[in-house]
Amino acid sequence: MFKDIKSLLEINWIYIFLLLIIFWIGEINLYSAADGNLEPWALNQFKRFIIFLPIFFFIIMLQPKFIFNISELLLILIVLGLIGTLFFGYTGMGAKRWIRIGGFNLQVSEFAKIALVLFMAKYFHKLNSEKTIGFIKALIPLIISFALFFLVAIQPDLGTAVIILILGLIAIFYAGINLIYPIISLIGIALASPFLWTLLKPYQQNRIMIFLNPDLDPLGKGYHIIQSKIAIGSGGQNGNGFLGGSQSSLDFLPEKETDFVFAIFSEQFGFTGSMIVLGLFLIFFLIPILKSFKLSQVFNKLILFVLSFKIFFEFLINISMTIGLVPVVGVALPFMSYGGSSLLSNLIICALLINFMSITEKKRMFS
Amino acid sequence: MEKNKTSQDSIKILNRRSFIIIILGIFFSLVVAVRLFSLQILNFGFYKKKSVENKVSVKATPPLRGDIYDSNKNLLAGNTSFYEFVIYKNLNKNYLKEIKKINSLIGLNLNIDEIYKKLEKFNPYSAYTISKASWDQIVEFEKNKFLFTSIKIIESKKRFYPYKNLSQIIGYVGSSSDSSYLYPKGIFHIEKGYEKHLKGSPGKIFNEVNSKGKIVREISIENPIKGKDLHLTINLELQNYNQSLLPISNKGSIVIINRLDGSILSMNSNPTFDAQIFEDKDNDKINELLNDSSKPLFNRAFSGFYPPGSVFKPIPALLGLQKNLINETTEVVCKGHSSINDRNYYCWKKRGHGRVNLKKAIRESCDVYFYELAKKTNINDLANLATNLGLNQKYNLGLSNAQKGLVPDKKWKRAFLDEGWYLGETLITCIGQGYNLTSPLQLANLYSALLNGGKYPQPRINKNTEIEYLGIPFENNFQKILIDSLKAAVQEPTGTAFKLNNLHPDFVKIGGKTGTSQVVRIKEEEREDDLYKTKEIEDRFKDHSVFVGYAPLDNPKYIASVIIENGGSGSAVAAPIAHKALNFAHSLNV
Repeated sequence: MFKDIKSLLEINWIYIFLLLIIFWIGEINLYSAADGNLEPWALNQFKRFIIFLPIFFFIIMLQPKFIFNISELLLILIVLGLIGTLFFGYTGMGAKRWIRIGGFNLQVSEFAKIALVLFMAKYFHKLNSEKTIGFIKALIPLIISFALFFLVAIQPDLGTAVIILILGLIAIFYAGINLIYPIISLIGIALASPFLWTLLKPYQQNRIMIFLNPDLDPLGKGYHIIQSKIAIGSGGQNGNGFLGGSQSSLDFLPEKETDFVFAIFSEQFGFTGSMIVLGLFLIFFLIPILKSFKLSQVFNKLILFVLSFKIFFEFLINISMTIGLVPVVGVALPFMSYGGSSLLSNLIICALLINFMSITEKKRMFS
Repeated sequence: MEKNKTSQDSIKILNRRSFIIIILGIFFSLVVAVRLFSLQILNFGFYKKKSVENKVSVKATPPLRGDIYDSNKNLLAGNTSFYEFVIYKNLNKNYLKEIKKINSLIGLNLNIDEIYKKLEKFNPYSAYTISKASWDQIVEFEKNKFLFTSIKIIESKKRFYPYKNLSQIIGYVGSSSDSSYLYPKGIFHIEKGYEKHLKGSPGKIFNEVNSKGKIVREISIENPIKGKDLHLTINLELQNYNQSLLPISNKGSIVIINRLDGSILSMNSNPTFDAQIFEDKDNDKINELLNDSSKPLFNRAFSGFYPPGSVFKPIPALLGLQKNLINETTEVVCKGHSSINDRNYYCWKKRGHGRVNLKKAIRESCDVYFYELAKKTNINDLANLATNLGLNQKYNLGLSNAQKGLVPDKKWKRAFLDEGWYLGETLITCIGQGYNLTSPLQLANLYSALLNGGKYPQPRINKNTEIEYLGIPFENNFQKILIDSLKAAVQEPTGTAFKLNNLHPDFVKIGGKTGTSQVVRIKEEEREDDLYKTKEIEDRFKDHSVFVGYAPLDNPKYIASVIIENGGSGSAVAAPIAHKALNFAHSLNV
């Protein structure tokens, strides 16, 4: 089940160092979001980090073969968890997203992303196709992706559901599906979008309309985007300085510790700070991927690629939300937004990435 | 071996797909970077401004308005405190309950539904005025203070007018329709005319507020600057005294000016109103005032225009002397009427005055003398002279409703009535009837011009203005003749106002001229019946009684101009009032 203790020497310490820097920036940011207070967010988030560290190292030390073996089981547990959430979930902000497990409110959908990727990795590894993959062989991953999407979307949590679906599709794309299918799908979606529009709930339609023109509702739904853009724009080149953000300290920015945490950061540290964070996440994204090029086992490659992509993708979507490039869909900024489930799932992902970056591939390692 | 080859192919596919996704990811990152550049570098100014606007709220604090004083530094218009019940929504969630409670407890008679509606959208950290607070209500509230957490009493300033008799000069202030004007604005008379002088400049409090409008800290304060005080030439004592002279039953006006410096010492008009009702927002009284058919808002001293009657006669007399149409000794025989082309123009004295020279004509107010003079007079010259002597002018005093009145000439008649001028019209113009329209203030200035020899100080109401002179001087000799005649009209036994001396023998001696301003053109038959002189004539058709006089006799200082609407003859009603007013002014020595 576990690797040799010596394998710790193989760990990519640069990656861990980067992770700590990003988390540290997030901590400083939560401290400033509370107007220079450790309460209520920064300290709490740090405690969680410490509590999660054993899990982090536990996963680093797992044998890839063990992970390979339990990936279907994990998916089944997650599906049960999601169904459980629908029935026994704890309701907050108008949605059943959390389930209470041992003192923690867990957002199962966050972990569904990991389970899906592990399942996909194993599925396509076993497929071991020599050519591009046809539609039939992609059917099971597609069904599972859509099933998870559906289970999360009815919570309702459209943001997370869409991320899950996109991760599933990216995995299928990465695994080598014939390019014909994605192209046909994109055209199909474009043609069907007027119909899809009518399927959206009025509040979702509203969010999209207001995303396209926030001034439609400057004090209501458009308020988030407008205030967030003001915060970021007023940061200027070098920002208002640490703890110098008036948008944040005067509470003009709602959900500043979660979805809009980047606006807090950018108001204080400006364009320069934003570019540094963007650069850090880009490097953080590319390190596991560069390793994935050197590997040849599909299971290893897919896990490294898609999980690393997941963190970077959520980062981009979250920032794009705060600067008005995509609608506000409720996607957390990895390691910077306040929240336990997001932190735990991202730590698990990083642990998996570190684990798989340090392996030396052998033939038949999963058979 | 075969297996290995396919594995190599599949890795190639995976790596190729990686590149596509990485390139997409980097492309998306660039889009984000460009967007951030646009927000933070290109549009930095725009968002910085928005951010400052977000957090800084500017609150204007109204300045105190300048005080208005009379010539003896008595306060005529000032500022006073008043109290209001206000509510701060943020202090109690159940603020609606408190409104109901205060309404029933203190009996404020509030329109609760309307207040709820307005409060709903009101900033919870700002004071919303529920009602005015009287002294009794404040006492009642203080007793039950523990019941209220969101309702407070605050003090504000309002305008205070202690003297009702001055409302028609001071005017009043009101809320402006212009929303950029945050505090009351003068909307009538002196309050309006001297708005710039009185208004001061507002202070500003810059506050940093949070997203809910709560003040986080004060950034800076600019204190308001009180408006400048205004000192009027009006004498409060004289103004109050003269108001008491005006008969309550008749509309009318008394104006007293100082002919030496042009100061307006008093300007009374009956009926009058109380400007305080506008400040107290007493809507019932305001409506009653606005609908009052006797127009109390209207100050007859400068907005009331009447035919001057015989007080106009010195003007044609002066013109006759200047144009050499008459001299001191020129005589006319008055048989009670004068005629042009078979049409008769009657003298007020049916039996006639006999032989009349200029002095007698003014002393006894002989109309026939002036009819005969009028036959030689050019109406345009007469209008010109009247204008030089102060009629037909607005004077620019800063009072509302100021008008010029009317001194007719040929051009005016052509323009307004589209008719040529008839000689008969010159006749009735010369005795102050016809188209002539003058205000009591204008008549006072006419006599100021006569007593000053043509060049007279412009009337003024602001004590701190320079004295400016108007008019064109005329010969001293003519001035002497006119003053002599005006003196005779009161001081010689045959004078129209001689009985003043019997009425008040101990009063200061005055000179002056009586006048009767005709309300209806009297028909010849009525004259025959003598009906127009009897008491039985309906009051509203009775003539206006006019008198303009001056005191003291030797070195005249005060000029009084009096009109009593429908009062009858000038000698009977207006003259005694003018005498009292002049005597009082003289005794005050203002």
